[in-house]
Amino acid sequence: MSVPVSDDDLNAYVDGQLPPERAARVAADVEGDPAFAARAAAIRAHNAQLRDALDPWLSEPLPRELIGAATSSKSHRRGLGRRLWPVLATAASLCIGVALGWLIRGEVLQQAGTPVTFQRQAALTHALYATDANRPVEIWANEEERLVRWLSKRLSFQLHAPNLSDVGFALVGGRLVAGNEKPDKQRISLLVRKDGEHSHETGFRYALEDGVGVFYWIDDNCGYALSGNLDRTQLLSIAHLVYGRLAALESTPK
Amino acid sequence: MALARPPAVPHTLPNPDLVAALPRLRRYARVLTGDINRADDLVQDTLARAWEKRSLWQAGSDLRAWLFTIMHNVHVNQYAMRKRRQAESSLDGDEDTPGGWQIAVRATQSDRVELAEVLVQIGRLPVEQREVLILAAVEELRYEEIARVQGVPIGTVMSRLNRAREKLRRMSADAPAPLKVVK
Repeated sequence: MSVPVSDDDLNAYVDGQLPPERAARVAADVEGDPAFAARAAAIRAHNAQLRDALDPWLSEPLPRELIGAATSSKSHRRGLGRRLWPVLATAASLCIGVALGWLIRGEVLQQAGTPVTFQRQAALTHALYATDANRPVEIWANEEERLVRWLSKRLSFQLHAPNLSDVGFALVGGRLVAGNEKPDKQRISLLVRKDGEHSHETGFRYALEDGVGVFYWIDDNCGYALSGNLDRTQLLSIAHLVYGRLAALESTPK
Repeated sequence: MALARPPAVPHTLPNPDLVAALPRLRRYARVLTGDINRADDLVQDTLARAWEKRSLWQAGSDLRAWLFTIMHNVHVNQYAMRKRRQAESSLDGDEDTPGGWQIAVRATQSDRVELAEVLVQIGRLPVEQREVLILAAVEELRYEEIARVQGVPIGTVMSRLNRAREKLRRMSADAPAPLKVVK
């Protein structure tokens, strides 16, 4: 007869918290007893359901106040963050792209039977320009001020370039893009679009377009799409960061 | 983890990580308070406390578990205060749970009926059991870490977890869920 499995054993077994040799013994006991096996399966299924029910909360957009509260220290230490982002720390760069007149172009393309969504546009823009060795941007970051001024003027709203140097991304520069437009390496692109009308979609949405991950969201009549060949979690963290920094930049008048 | 500990205690928390921890903090706060608005207040209070106590955070240690601990404590204090206030001006006879469980599935997700059911059911658990369940099953914290978050012995964590799962098992067994999906 096998040693009876305690409730605590069963829980710890399913939660993966037992040391290997103990786990193997409990596994053998569970397999030998249909009632225990059923309970273990039920706990496992319930864990999965809980995650399915609660994980969508993680991709909701964060309120500005919370981002403010999370970033409210006076001194921003660099370096500490960099160590925590080892994957991103190499040869990383950020491009700012601005889609102008996208709506018209989108309409034309849709009529032609190729629906182009904002997230797709963002992925394509990223793919095309981020791999461009010679001219990924129209205006380089050494002229950041001019870049921001120029793009703001063309879009007729105040644009901001979030500083992501603490997570290992340096601004490369920006360009104005009109239509469709793919990248590689450790590079991310932020595509900004001025929307005519107010939209109710505010959540972070994720899309995978031709292997390029895109998080896109809408805030204050502007559409933002962050694209890059990073995994979903890394990209989401940066999307939260960009969202927060933009919010902070907008709330502090210069 | 092979992160070298810096020579001195940092005077600030790692900002990107704090922002990156926000979605999880927010989720934990919802599980604790059962109310989306109160949850955000709790996150804010937790962050304020975290900045105050930042010299106590050890660089290289798990920031998320440290923040959960602070949140747990802030919530326990607030809960006690709210209960006391409610007892003093007790016209609404809401005896045990101040505020109550308001979390429901959005209309857009209501096609997943069993998920709505799960949310309703965990709302019926006592907060300390709900807390252990989420930290173990969803956040996948070690039982020892959960014990530190709640400030109790590990045996207490395991019996809370066991009771939580036992209750849930009975809930789905004897009541084929009179489902309340609030929109």
